[in-house]
Amino acid sequence: MSTTTQAPSLVEELVLLVVEDDGGIAFTAGTPGFGMAVIGGCLVELNLVGAIDADLDGIRVLDASPGRGTALDLVLREVAAGPEARVEQWVVRLFPHAQDIIRAALASLIQRGILAQSERRFLWVLKERSYPMRDDRELKEAKRRIYDTLMSDAIPSPHDTVLLGLALAGGLLEAFLSKSEIARLEDRIREAGGIDLIVRGVEAALRQDQLVRAQAMLYPF
Amino acid sequence: MQTTKENTDRAIVLAPVGRLDFAAATAFQEALEKAIAEAAAAKLAVIVDCSGLDYLSSAGLRSFLIGARTAQSAGVKLKVCALQKSVGEVFDVSGFSRIMPPVSDRAAALAAL
Repeated sequence: MSTTTQAPSLVEELVLLVVEDDGGIAFTAGTPGFGMAVIGGCLVELNLVGAIDADLDGIRVLDASPGRGTALDLVLREVAAGPEARVEQWVVRLFPHAQDIIRAALASLIQRGILAQSERRFLWVLKERSYPMRDDRELKEAKRRIYDTLMSDAIPSPHDTVLLGLALAGGLLEAFLSKSEIARLEDRIREAGGIDLIVRGVEAALRQDQLVRAQAMLYPF
Repeated sequence: MQTTKENTDRAIVLAPVGRLDFAAATAFQEALEKAIAEAAAAKLAVIVDCSGLDYLSSAGLRSFLIGARTAQSAGVKLKVCALQKSVGEVFDVSGFSRIMPPVSDRAAALAAL
C-alpha cells in the first residue's frame, strides 16, 4: 500500500461518494444510474486525455493506444473496436463493465491508502466486505466541490460541472443533501451540473433505461 | 482552425473559423484567455463571433466553458454570437446556453453589453 498524493480520478471520486461512514457501500452503488455515471466518468477522462472526442453524433477515437489504467483501457478498447454510436448508446453498451470498473477504482483507492478493506461476519456466516475510510480528505474535497458549485453563482469549472452532473445522474446527491435542500437547489443543479456532452449522454441513457423499466412494469408479458 | 482577433472601441472580437475539436481546443482556449486578459486591462468586453465555426465537440465546448469562467472571475463581459445551427445545438443540448445565452450577431452582442 502506498500513500501517494495523486488526485483521485473522476471515477474514483464517484466511488468515494458511495462509501458510507461505516465503510459500507451505499445501496446507490448497485443502481443503473450509478453504473452509467461511472461509465460516463471513464468517457470524460478519456476525452480529457485526448483519447476520444465526442459530439452529438457519437464518439470519435483519437488515440486507441493503451496504458491509461485498467478501466480506461477496457472502455477505450471497446469503443475503438465498436461501430459508430451516439454517446448514450455507448453508455448502455459499456454498462455491463460498470461493476468491474467500480472494483478497479476501489482497488486503486485501497492501494493508495485512501480506503482500507475489511471483511466481517454477518449473522456469523455471511461475509460482508467493507471499505473504511483511512484518509477522508479526498471524499471531503469531492463533497466540497459539489457543495461550493451549488452554493455559488459562479460558472463552474469543467471538472466541477461534470462531477455534479454525474453525481446527480448517479443518485449521489441524496447522500449528503436532504431532499428539501435538493428541491430548493433544483434550478442551480440544472444550471451548473453536467455542462458537457458526455454527461448529457449519460442522462439520455438513464432516461431511456427508466422508460424501458417502466414499460416492462406496465406490460410485463 | 483559425481564430482572428479584431479590436473595436468597446470590445475585442474573436472569430474562430473551422472545426473546434480536441486538436484545436487548447489553441482556442489560449486565444480566448489572452483576449480576456487584454480586455480586463483595457476595460473592454469580449465577443466571440461564431459565424465561421462549423463544428464544436465536447473538448471545444470545454474551452468555451473555461473562457466563460475566466471572464466572469476577471469581471469581463463575454458574449457569444452568430452560432451556426450545429454549434447552437451543442450549446443547447449541453446546457451552455443557460449560463451564456448566445445572441444573433455582433450588433446584438454589442447591444447586450
